[in-house]
Amino acid sequence: MEATDRAAEFIPAGLASLGIEADEVDLAVISAAHQMFWPAIRDLLSLDVSGVEPERCPDLSRAP
Amino acid sequence: MNTLDLPLREQAAAIAAGDADPAELLAAALTRIEQRNPAINAVVETFPERSREMLDAAPAGPLHGVPVVIKDEWPLPWRAQRFGAVELLAPTAPGESGPYRALRDAGAVIAGVGNMHELGAGSTGNISFYGPARNPWNTDRCPGGSSSGPASAVAARLVAGAVGADGVGSIRLPAAYCGLTGLKPTFGRSAMEGHHMAAVTSTIVSGPLCTDAADCRLLGSALFGEELAAGDAVGLRIGVVRDTVSEDVAPEVRDACEAAIEALRTETGGEVREIALADIEAAALAAVLIINTESLGGVAPERLNRLHPDLSPLNRGFLKYRMLLPAAATVQASRVRTLMRRRLAALFEQVDAIAWPTVAAVAPPLEAPLVELPSGTLTADQANVRGTGLANLTGIPSIGAPVGLSSDGLPIGLQLQAAWGRDELLLDAAEALERANGRRWVEALPPLAEAAPTEA
Repeated sequence: MEATDRAAEFIPAGLASLGIEADEVDLAVISAAHQMFWPAIRDLLSLDVSGVEPERCPDLSRAP
Repeated sequence: MNTLDLPLREQAAAIAAGDADPAELLAAALTRIEQRNPAINAVVETFPERSREMLDAAPAGPLHGVPVVIKDEWPLPWRAQRFGAVELLAPTAPGESGPYRALRDAGAVIAGVGNMHELGAGSTGNISFYGPARNPWNTDRCPGGSSSGPASAVAARLVAGAVGADGVGSIRLPAAYCGLTGLKPTFGRSAMEGHHMAAVTSTIVSGPLCTDAADCRLLGSALFGEELAAGDAVGLRIGVVRDTVSEDVAPEVRDACEAAIEALRTETGGEVREIALADIEAAALAAVLIINTESLGGVAPERLNRLHPDLSPLNRGFLKYRMLLPAAATVQASRVRTLMRRRLAALFEQVDAIAWPTVAAVAPPLEAPLVELPSGTLTADQANVRGTGLANLTGIPSIGAPVGLSSDGLPIGLQLQAAWGRDELLLDAAEALERANGRRWVEALPPLAEAAPTEA
């Protein structure tokens, strides 16, 4: 199955599962956003950060 | 010269010395807004009576009597913020926001509210409940966002300083597009009280937009609640990254930024070091994911079925799409935040500042905010976040400064980033950069501001 086909199923199904209504314009925007973000999100998810010990309650005003 | 055309600090000095009447200065600012604002839509509301009341009550602070603009992101005692939108999902009300108090206590006078990109969700300023703000350098071009109005207002010399907010570059990006200096403070150093996301945000800060670094220091000191002491940037160690953020940029942007970095090195007697900083694009996406997740804060899905019909189609769709973002990605974004914070902490042992272009290309057309880069055509939003997201993700301060004009007369900006708490060093470095180029770019006027003043 092509990624666009999967998105065509995922987006309406995801919205419907949350009870969010979407018209054609909404779906067109969401589809475009998805095409823009999803490859980068997948890349982010595949980034190996397993060795990064999480900062607990990081103070962003200071160096870690 | 008209007092209104002086830098913020000189306006304040003239008033303090009795050489300028603050009531006349406010009147001149309001007149200029009436004259020039229709072309740029930078200021969306003025309230002369409120401004005059502020002036009447103004203490003898460092900004006594100086008119400024504040972004439509901050509540005022007489006005709730609209966030550039027909409605916000978060409740809002008039009130004394932190930036309002900071300005009031410094003696400044709020002359108007600045336009902004709708819901802060864009880097171009081409979408707003009030209609798009326009770039004074070319009114068919984007002024940048989301602090579009504050930047456009200062660039057009409606006022000499404005308060913006920066969550993923929203001060630095319009500064670059409009030829201004804009400081994104270290997270937590500047006033944030009263912002509708103050309790949940880990990226947004208030900050100054002015023509030059000295004015950012003055206005920034008010927002920080402490004096941002001037020092020097002697021996500045400048780190440059040979990566997408500095390489996948329009050739004339790259040339201008490289020339500026070399001029800064010469001026400070410093050095330029090539440094490695991997995963900058992942960091930018992480910042976007975090701010989008934080902005959801408590919104029930069914609330999205009752969005106001006048909200832009883009934001209607995108608000709904946010609900589909995987939690795993946000968790991963937090890991990337930690990773990048540790990498930066190590890098700032080797260099004092990291430099790269603020934006990859000059201000795009309002009608189609796309940029042509060596890698191809991108939306301006896609390209812009690459260079600015890192500072918001990690909390470090960053400053954008003008370093040239493109062949079609549009500003080019350089960004400098420093370690946590070294906001003052960035101001010092930006001042050194101004000296290095003879203040040519901070004093350059857009065509709109070159128009002969008709006001007193």
